[in-house]
Amino acid sequence: MSALLEVRDLATQFTTRDGIVRAVDGVSFTLDCGETLAIVGESGSGKSVTALSIMRLIQEPQGKVVSGQVLFKGDDILKLSDSKVRAIRGDRIAMIFQDPMTSLNPVFRVGRQIGESLILHKGMSRKEAFERAVELLDMVGIPHPRDRARDYPHQFSGGMRQRAMIAMALACDPDILIADEPTTALDVTIQAQILELMIEMQERTGAAIIMITHDLGVVADMADDVMVMYAGKQVEYGKADGVFYTPRHPYTWGLLDSLPRHDIDEKGALLPITGQPPSLINVPAGCAFHPRCPYAKDVCTTGTPVLTDVGEGHLAACHFSNDPEFQRRASQHPGEVA
Amino acid sequence: MFKYVVRRVFQMIPVFIGVTLILFILRAPGVLPGDPVRMITGERGMTDALRQQIIEKHGLDQPLHRQYVIYLGNLLQGDLGESYQRGRAVTEIFADKLPNTLRLALAAIVIEGIVGVTAGIISAVRQYSFLDVLVTLSTSILVSVPVFWLGMLFQIFFGIKLKEWTGGAFYLPISQMSSAQFPDWAHMILPAITLASVSTAYVARIMRSQMLEAMGQDYIRTAEAKGLTRRAVTFRHALKNALIPVVTFVGIDFGVMMGGAILTETVFSWPGVGREIFLAVGQRDWPIVMGGVVIIVFLVMIINLLVDLSYALLDPRIRYGGGPE
Ligand SMILES: Nc1ncnc2c1ncn2[C@@H]1O[C@H](COP(=O)(O)OP(=O)(O)OP(=O)(O)O)[C@@H](O)[C@H]1O
Ligand SMILES: [Mg+2]
Repeated sequence: MSALLEVRDLATQFTTRDGIVRAVDGVSFTLDCGETLAIVGESGSGKSVTALSIMRLIQEPQGKVVSGQVLFKGDDILKLSDSKVRAIRGDRIAMIFQDPMTSLNPVFRVGRQIGESLILHKGMSRKEAFERAVELLDMVGIPHPRDRARDYPHQFSGGMRQRAMIAMALACDPDILIADEPTTALDVTIQAQILELMIEMQERTGAAIIMITHDLGVVADMADDVMVMYAGKQVEYGKADGVFYTPRHPYTWGLLDSLPRHDIDEKGALLPITGQPPSLINVPAGCAFHPRCPYAKDVCTTGTPVLTDVGEGHLAACHFSNDPEFQRRASQHPGEVA
Repeated sequence: MFKYVVRRVFQMIPVFIGVTLILFILRAPGVLPGDPVRMITGERGMTDALRQQIIEKHGLDQPLHRQYVIYLGNLLQGDLGESYQRGRAVTEIFADKLPNTLRLALAAIVIEGIVGVTAGIISAVRQYSFLDVLVTLSTSILVSVPVFWLGMLFQIFFGIKLKEWTGGAFYLPISQMSSAQFPDWAHMILPAITLASVSTAYVARIMRSQMLEAMGQDYIRTAEAKGLTRRAVTFRHALKNALIPVVTFVGIDFGVMMGGAILTETVFSWPGVGREIFLAVGQRDWPIVMGGVVIIVFLVMIINLLVDLSYALLDPRIRYGGGPE
């Protein structure tokens, strides 16, 4: 059986005054029913653009998906007609956006905004859609859902808006839910609640989730697969366990090290990745990460590393991914190598 | 809400006092040339007795501050005094003129709303297209053209030249007096377009920029992600947001047109409040000038209040007069 979603070699660019931004450059992954894929990476690494490209929501003509395939149940979304894509959006693939404060329309009632896709995709009447919106609000844990459905977004708190966004995304029982940093704008206790809610929803509906975040800690207990992005490229991809416990890319080590990890070294100082993410207009030659990589060698400045299998479908794009000596030392004491 | 309205009505009082005070200062001896009594009697000679009679009749023998107090007292009772020149009550005169001004302003607002909003939307939806450039260019020119000049240009072109060139067909009547072959409303076309011109340009520009701004908002992407058509996204989600400031502008502009109509009404000899004020200024017929200004100020304030109240209907984020959110 083919995968629910298969993304092959996706590349998206933006034309700006300063030059061409290679926001996503050769990303591939697969997603099966009920699975959760986490996409992680620093700000500006192309996570949101990847998600928008899948939904074909990149604003043309500034932005353009320049190559690749997005196979949803075998059909390439990038090649479908506009109306076929619209039939998928909101119905089969739904998205929760990064900022709940601005992602709801301020002049429409929340219930109406949730019901909109039901009217569109399920052919419900306004009344039926409203009733279903009330149920959905109840389901995502909003008290007095019937009254709340008649409220406007500004009457909702940040956490409630994000719940409303989740209700909106779940309205049509999508096969895939893309959640773009659904919790970064919220405070910590609410973050936990929202994640809990998403896990619960997934168990109930069996939806596959693409969870975008720059926080590896958040995905630890959620993800089946993890994809690490750096400067628009996929640098590591595989089962969550593999990526978490035997990371094969120095950038992933850096990400993991910048997390407070009580299990490894209580006293150890955090090792945040130093330097700035590169400009996506002038991506460094060779490995894009080499200027910031503490282990960079000559080859890293010239040769572009390709994603290679390091075992059991675990992929990493580092020249030394398969160098056993380097890997052993690095994963034990990342700070002391080189 | 009720408290809000009451407060706003009370805020009108100082405005009335300010406006009438300024006008009274203008009529103090020596501020503006021209003696109203001389204007009443005209060039003919007049006996001192008759002159005295006129002065007393209009209370001009009183010191200015007394006159002012008397004026305010009468104003409170809805009495705007009597015209020097016409021997009629000012309220009566304006009761005739006001409907004409309102009619013209209403026609202009309709033009402004329909043409301005449509042009703005087209311009935004087809950004950088030929039509967009055309709208941008023509609005830039329009906002810098003096209204009276535009009015005269219209008269010359549509009223006179077009008539000459086409042998009497396809031209537009300039003023009520021009001909009887047109229906009544046809006389309003040119003055209404003239009155609407600058505002229409502004509305088109505001509409365009608001629409473009709305189209760039996050909630538009949310709407697209639901699978809505481009059209539903534009005309449902973006338009309602973009219209809020435009409706406010148009509403307030309706008030502005009451006063702004002075130029248009004068150029087109439109028998409205503005033209009456213009004529009265020339004749130093102070009761008419003051009465006209007071009426306009009153209308502008009422309209602004209504606009502010309707704003709350349009924009759910706005609520007046406290109360729970
Ligand atoms: N409309 C656009 N025009 C030009 N450049 C864009 C546009 N959208 C995104 N980019 C660029 O693409 C790159 C990737 O952006 P993206 O939003 O995918 O980052 P991200 O990984 O989601 O970051 P964050 O964690 O901050 O959300 C960035 O460098 C960004 O500047
Ligand atoms: Mg993002």
